[in-house]
Amino acid sequence: MTAFVSTDDTLQSSLAPKRTRAQQFWAMLRANKLAFAGLLIFLVFFVVAVLGLFLTSGTHPIFDPSTVRLQEKLRPPLSRPRVDILTPEQIPRLGIYLFGTDDLGRDVFSRMLQGAWVSLTVGFVAVGISVIVGVVMGGLAGYYGNAFIRVGHVISVSFLFSSTALVFLNQSFTAVLCLLAGLATGYLSFKNKPALALPIMSIDTLIMRIVDIMLCFPSFFLILTVVALLPASMYNIMIVIGLTSWMGAARFVRAEFLSLREQDFVMAARALGLKDLRIIFRHMVPNALGPVLVSATIGIASAILTEAGLSFLGFGVPPPHATWGNILSDGKGFIFDAPWLTFIPGIAILIVVLAFNLFGEGLRDILNPKLRERSL
Amino acid sequence: MTIKRLLVVVPSVIILFLLQSYFWVPTYEQQTKGNPERLVQYVTASIGDASLLNPILSADSASSQIESLVFEGLIDRDQNLHFRGRLAKSWEIYEEAYFYVNRLARIQGNKDVSAEKIVSILREHMQKRDCSPALNSSLALIKQIKVLPPRSFKSGARIGKKKIVVEINAPARIKLVLKKVDQALFHNLCEILGSTYFSSFPAWRYIKPPPGTTKEAILAIAKKLIPAYEHNPVILFHLRPGVQFHDGYSFTAKDVKFTYQAIMDPRNLSPRISDYEPVKDVEIIDSLTVKVIYKRLYSPALSTWAIGILPEHLLNNEALRNEAVERGMDPKNFSIRQSRFNRHPIGCGPFVFRDWKADRYIILDRNEKYWEGPPNYKEYVFRIIPDLLTQEMEFYAGTVDSYNVQPHQVARLRNDPRFQCFSGTSFGYTYIGYNMRREPFRDRRVRLALSMAINVDEIIKYVLYGQGEKITGPFVKQTDYYNHKIRPVPYDPQGALKLLEEAGWRRDKQGWLEKNGKRLQFTLITNSGNDIRKAILAIAQDAWKRIGIDVRTDVIEWSVFIQERIDKLDFDAVVLGWQMGIEPDLYQIWHSSQTHPYQLNFVGFKNKEADDLIIKIRQEYDHDKQVQYCHKLHAIIAREQPYTFLFVRKWTAVLDKRIVIKDVDKNGNVVYRKITPTKTGDYTFYFNKWIKLPQAPSFSPGG
Amino acid sequence: MLSFIGRSVIQKTVTLFFVSIVSFLIIHLAPGRPSQVNPLNPKFTPELVERFRKAFHLDKPLYVQYIYFYRDLFTGKTVSWKDGRPVLKKIWDRFLNSLPLFIVGTLLTWTLSFPLGIRSAIHRGGIYDRSVTFFAYLLISIPGFFFAYVLIIFVVTRFHVPVIGMETFGLNASSWLHMSMDRVWHLLLPSVLGATGGIAVLSRYVRSEMLEVEGQDFIRTALAKGLHPDQVHYKHALRNALLPFVTMFGLILPGLIGGSVIIESIFSWPGMGRMAYEAILARDYPVILTVNFVSAVLVLAGTFLSDILYMVVDPRIKL
Repeated sequence: MTAFVSTDDTLQSSLAPKRTRAQQFWAMLRANKLAFAGLLIFLVFFVVAVLGLFLTSGTHPIFDPSTVRLQEKLRPPLSRPRVDILTPEQIPRLGIYLFGTDDLGRDVFSRMLQGAWVSLTVGFVAVGISVIVGVVMGGLAGYYGNAFIRVGHVISVSFLFSSTALVFLNQSFTAVLCLLAGLATGYLSFKNKPALALPIMSIDTLIMRIVDIMLCFPSFFLILTVVALLPASMYNIMIVIGLTSWMGAARFVRAEFLSLREQDFVMAARALGLKDLRIIFRHMVPNALGPVLVSATIGIASAILTEAGLSFLGFGVPPPHATWGNILSDGKGFIFDAPWLTFIPGIAILIVVLAFNLFGEGLRDILNPKLRERSL
Repeated sequence: MTIKRLLVVVPSVIILFLLQSYFWVPTYEQQTKGNPERLVQYVTASIGDASLLNPILSADSASSQIESLVFEGLIDRDQNLHFRGRLAKSWEIYEEAYFYVNRLARIQGNKDVSAEKIVSILREHMQKRDCSPALNSSLALIKQIKVLPPRSFKSGARIGKKKIVVEINAPARIKLVLKKVDQALFHNLCEILGSTYFSSFPAWRYIKPPPGTTKEAILAIAKKLIPAYEHNPVILFHLRPGVQFHDGYSFTAKDVKFTYQAIMDPRNLSPRISDYEPVKDVEIIDSLTVKVIYKRLYSPALSTWAIGILPEHLLNNEALRNEAVERGMDPKNFSIRQSRFNRHPIGCGPFVFRDWKADRYIILDRNEKYWEGPPNYKEYVFRIIPDLLTQEMEFYAGTVDSYNVQPHQVARLRNDPRFQCFSGTSFGYTYIGYNMRREPFRDRRVRLALSMAINVDEIIKYVLYGQGEKITGPFVKQTDYYNHKIRPVPYDPQGALKLLEEAGWRRDKQGWLEKNGKRLQFTLITNSGNDIRKAILAIAQDAWKRIGIDVRTDVIEWSVFIQERIDKLDFDAVVLGWQMGIEPDLYQIWHSSQTHPYQLNFVGFKNKEADDLIIKIRQEYDHDKQVQYCHKLHAIIAREQPYTFLFVRKWTAVLDKRIVIKDVDKNGNVVYRKITPTKTGDYTFYFNKWIKLPQAPSFSPGG
Repeated sequence: MLSFIGRSVIQKTVTLFFVSIVSFLIIHLAPGRPSQVNPLNPKFTPELVERFRKAFHLDKPLYVQYIYFYRDLFTGKTVSWKDGRPVLKKIWDRFLNSLPLFIVGTLLTWTLSFPLGIRSAIHRGGIYDRSVTFFAYLLISIPGFFFAYVLIIFVVTRFHVPVIGMETFGLNASSWLHMSMDRVWHLLLPSVLGATGGIAVLSRYVRSEMLEVEGQDFIRTALAKGLHPDQVHYKHALRNALLPFVTMFGLILPGLIGGSVIIESIFSWPGMGRMAYEAILARDYPVILTVNFVSAVLVLAGTFLSDILYMVVDPRIKL
């Protein structure tokens, strides 16, 4: 007779110590050198950006980005200022023009510092908004594609919308009425009352039509209109750029989801009784992230450059506040006389984009269990 | 693997195919030197395309450049800025003056003097010449006196917003035909007729008020409906015989009258209407004589006839109707604006239109039958190249003969032996305007201090690379209307601070200027798309910061800038520029009645003395007096500083040295001369005589 | 399938109608007036401005203007406010100009991205991959006009041939062959520059998709089975990776009515991009609305096409 000794303790002691998911994640990140490097460069940039903002703002900033020195225009990087003709407050803090001067004699290094925060935030917030909206819309369309929107849903949503609008128009009584009506119809439609159960269109169709409508407007034109209507603040611009570029990501995610949905592992997860949201975000999204990451990386550069184009038209951050984009577009007329005005911001954008790309690739490797096995 | 091979082969084939086309393309040398046709072609480059090639409809510079070659006006200005006749051989300016007989007034003690009596009184004094010198000279100008009998007529009028028609039973009227325009005529006549003869004229008596109008309302408009006296200046043009349009039709007075009518026709939406609004009528005396009568004194009148004359036979109502029917459009809504004529114009000018490919080029051929003799160039090509760098490249390569040189390129080009440069100041200036309705700009000292804080010399030297000149007032610098005695505002930041202190602004602890606890702060705006203005924004902000003024800046897209800020008068300070003609009529920009929204005196400049001078300038026909008024006006504006006058740009044109003026002298020999600019810097004045030689000539010092 | 087509067509038409209303509202809400009336020109009196407004129907309520515009559009009568030419003809002319640029650019983009992306994915991490990645991101980060200028200066100073415009200025027709080759040459630089952006982006997507597919088990199995690597990569992996790109094919359609303003300005190419941009700045409403409408039609047609292709290519999908 063999005796079953409880081997739990021994088994446990001979297994490798358990790590939480977060610790596992961190360890893999460390191991993937390139990804880690990408993340580091990122953090360095952000720190520099915040510092830069601090160093260049205020009445008498440490690095002054707006001092005009007409006699020193278009000096190349690493050139010495001509101290004999400059007043003491015009001499650059570091003693030399580290990145040269632009066509009004302003120190490009200070301007890059001032612009770093704006450009980085524009890039990341805009892309962040577009990725989040795109993934959510694409995911819902792909996964719930066949679920139908019913009459009841439409009615209740329109009641809820009108109640919010009425709140803005200070008609509180009617707003409350609409709110109650909305909740009532919502409840009834959940209970699938036959009158309200008429299907109108599937969620997939609805979301795809919204994508179509957004795609029909050339984004430049939309941005121009919205930016002209709203006050010209950096945040409005970021939100607008983000809200006009999520369509690509949504289409990709939906496409991936449509094929992933039919695969075995999803069916298995459903059979196991996992909640829908968990399936979507924990299992399907990581597989669909590939193209999303690519478009996010490209999106950062494109958002920063779009901001440059807008400031060329007069819609960006108001001057004299510098941004990388506006140093670029100001330097457009001097490409051959002062190529550093194009190169320096361009290379800065390139480094940010490359860093993000490295990090993104690493992230994708980490999230993909098949690749994980190979690299470990 | 085939797929792999395909993936590599397909793109390579495409790229190779594209690249091999290089061998088929002629090089620049072949295009220019090896092509004899090139010598008789003049190619110019432009950033924008023309919109409508019709002088009465277009308002952009590209269109007017082409129109000045395809069309011809009655007059234009010569190298000394004097008027010279083009389609008009000669002209006379005189006046027809009218005044109503005022039965109520007493003339030399007598009441109820009839028209005939007044005429005989006038004739008596004219013969005896026994009045004051002023009246004598006025009377000496009278060529003819006529009595016009009383008449009844209807006239349209406006009471408030309502349009009404009134019946007027006008009394007898006296018409005086003068040899010259005499502004002081009626003032002088008061000597004989009595000082209140004209002011006491009871206009309201002769108006039959329509039902529903009050006596007060009629009184208010009476003086306008039948004024006691009227100056009607007249220009009589004698047209040049034997001039033909490009399609062979003869040019006659009918075309001049038609051009006037087309401009005034509201359906054509001509932007030139305001120039011709003072015209009362255009009469055709015979096929080569046109009489233009004006409603009131209007000295810029003659210069408005430089506009290109349209061919009546191609654009009259019948022609338009036929075209509408042919194109299947509604004849009732078809105006000159929709006509194909605008894309294929026909005029009397030195060049004939050949072809226009939208946004690519416009080609003109020389007019062999031009009345002054055909131009030397056989072809004129207007190429549209929107990018400045590529324009420069095409110029270097020799496929473009002239283009707009940028300030930073001028120094380089001037030293190049292949080219000749011409510089001149433009007609227009750049300025910073202050909204005088807002604090702190209400105080003249503040405005002056702001001007003193900006170093304009540096701006001209570094931003314009020397291609600019300082300016002190609102007139064109090369004309004599400009008061050269006024000294420019000096660059003196310390002086500025003193002035500001006088006005109550002192530095606070952080170095900002403040008064009564409020900081001196405002926003300076300009439009996007203009690098020089953007640079001025940054420079001004920095300069003002150094004396303690907190200035924010903003760059706004043109349409929004105009509609939301300038038109609605919602701005503090603005960097803008004016583009103007030579005429010194500045009513719209400086008169106090033009300070409402959507008008051009948006800074809100109101000065009684200036208003008077502006009106006088407009009505003064004597050049020297006009110049005096202008100088006074210039001094007032410079003193008040509603603008900080920055600079006037200098344009530089670069031409190949081989382009010269070819002339034929008395003996029939061909003579070549260097191109020299006219007084206003217009180097294209003798354009019709230009020619490009195969090799650069060398001129003897005599030219 | 038929029911899908039927449903789609109806839905797209409704969407088109909705888009037409929204774009109309946006244009009229945008600040700024048509620039035919330049208020800073002293010759433009307020009366003239009023007359212009009446002539352009701008004084009527919005829905009336909407009806006028679309009635004119469908009968082909819309006229541009800038120069009075019929809009449809204007757009057609510019379209014909942009078309060769578009065709060559798309050809270059699609035929170059795939080899680059695929090779990158197969030799992931190698020198080829790293340099292609670096250059792709370089092209995306530094704006296009820079490379355009550099290229133009290089070609012009080195080879002394004209590069701008659609054809060589002043070329008298020698032979048909000469003329067409001349056109091809002028197409080369602008389409290459236009394609570089597309190649950079598309090759990234291709590489990403290939990596996804290459990471799957069946590839490992095939390699383990001893199949020739070329066969594994180019036959088995590639086919699966191509799926999303087949659908992207349909989305090329809207590109027909687009065009890069910057490239067209630098190369003096009279194309659609420049026309649309200038119309927006001048607030030439008829042109803007018509271009918008046509582009909306193309977008909807493009998405329709890609949905169909998707169902055809991947049998697992049920739409």
